[in-house]
Amino acid sequence: MNDSDRLAIAAHLHVLLRRRTGRVTDTEWMAANADYAQEIIRFARQRAQQDDAPELAEWAAKLERATAEALAEASARKPLLERREAPAPRYVGGIR
Amino acid sequence: MRYGWHGVLVGVAGWGLLPCAVQAQAAGAPVRPGMVDAQALSAADTGWMLTATALVLLMTLPGVALFYAGMVRRKNVLNTMASVVAIAALVSVLWFAAGYSLAFTPDTAWLGGFARMGFDGLQFDLAAGRVAVSHVAPHIPESVYAMFQLTFAIITAALVVGAFVERIRFAPMLVFIGLWSLLVYAPIAHWVWEPGGWLARMGALDFAGGAVVHVNAGAAGLACAWYLGPRRGYGREAFEPYNLGFTMAGAALLWVGWFGFNAGSALAADGRAGLAMAVTHIAAAAGALAWMLGEAVLRGKPSLLGLCSGLVAGLVAITPAAGFVTPRAALAIGAVAGLACYWGATALKRLLGADDSLDVFGVHGVGGIVGSLLTGVFASRTVGGVEGNVLTQALSVGAVLAFSLAASLVLLWMVDFALGLRVDEEGEAAGLDLSQHRERVGG
Repeated sequence: MNDSDRLAIAAHLHVLLRRRTGRVTDTEWMAANADYAQEIIRFARQRAQQDDAPELAEWAAKLERATAEALAEASARKPLLERREAPAPRYVGGIR
Repeated sequence: MRYGWHGVLVGVAGWGLLPCAVQAQAAGAPVRPGMVDAQALSAADTGWMLTATALVLLMTLPGVALFYAGMVRRKNVLNTMASVVAIAALVSVLWFAAGYSLAFTPDTAWLGGFARMGFDGLQFDLAAGRVAVSHVAPHIPESVYAMFQLTFAIITAALVVGAFVERIRFAPMLVFIGLWSLLVYAPIAHWVWEPGGWLARMGALDFAGGAVVHVNAGAAGLACAWYLGPRRGYGREAFEPYNLGFTMAGAALLWVGWFGFNAGSALAADGRAGLAMAVTHIAAAAGALAWMLGEAVLRGKPSLLGLCSGLVAGLVAITPAAGFVTPRAALAIGAVAGLACYWGATALKRLLGADDSLDVFGVHGVGGIVGSLLTGVFASRTVGGVEGNVLTQALSVGAVLAFSLAASLVLLWMVDFALGLRVDEEGEAAGLDLSQHRERVGG
């Protein structure tokens, strides 16, 4: 998924949240920052349940998938040294 | 045990542990240092021992200095090097003053006498054609033998540095090492290498210092690590080594110098020295490969430091065995030591809970124990004239370990009480290069 698709999902969720809950969000930051996106997803799901608004839950799930894909792509682009899975701590408590 | 003379004199002591044939050879052998006709010396043996002495000194200067300095943090590199150089100088003077006499003159089974203090009697009379020789090596000048042994005293003390780097005050460290060299190293060398020493008489085999050098240094290192406590931040912060390239250069110098250490311990340029050189090289190679494989299997990547540590582990373990075993046995000893020391420097280290900073006990202590015990297993009568006994070896190693550990702790306490051993928090944070020497690595 490219950046503009993710931005489109974020914009859709932004409009829905503004309309259904009155909350104003930062669309570009939602598409760029995984932590912020997670918080908005959590809020959208909570309100979807409270207000019986299934479309909020549906778009929250779309943004969640898009964010996860973006993270995976970013990880794949990292240099070799940073891509290690759960890197063991080096030189802590012993040199060998 | 070194060279045939040791075996000869063990027989003289009457313990009955050596074959009658060997005891019979003892009839004309000297039992204490004395003067002989210079013509009686072996020029070839003397030449080889001069070379071996230089090789063993090269192991410390710059071998151990580089090996250790590469592993400490940038702010402590010069202090580590300065410690090794100062120890080499200090131990040299003390060896001349008293250490050699206490270690290598006959007196009691526990300690030598005072006859050679200040190298008294190490004479060469050109006009009369007479020269002093040690009873341990009567075919080379005693001056050469004393110098050869000096290089062993130096490296043993220098090895301990790896356990207390980055947190000990420079001057009190030298006081501790000076006392340790005289009160721990010299007696243990006497027990094992002077023919009247109690472990020598018992038949303990230690060709070039598995117990005297490596178990001894390892135990002292462990005592230092325990007594001083961990470096600030140990176990929480990453202590990045300054330059493992230095460590590799040091390890390479150790490997080459070890030919003098082990083949020189034959005290002659003969077939036994040749075999000692061969087994030394094979064990080093096996140790490096074993550690590398262990690391690759358990951690997924073999490291340069692992290779360097493995080769040292192999060299340490073959040290007590070098004049007693065949090349095939050397391969096994090196491989076992590579794996055992990898365990010693990782799992055992965590178990012991001491900040033995550069793994002096994990590599030298464990390697020395493994080598000494395996000497009991693999010693061949064909090669060394004696067979090994694992129980005797275990007793020897246990005695050295216990004495070194206990005596080192007592000395540490004394020096700490009198002078204070540990650097203050500010000095440790700034680094010992600045706080102890007002110097720092450039660039």
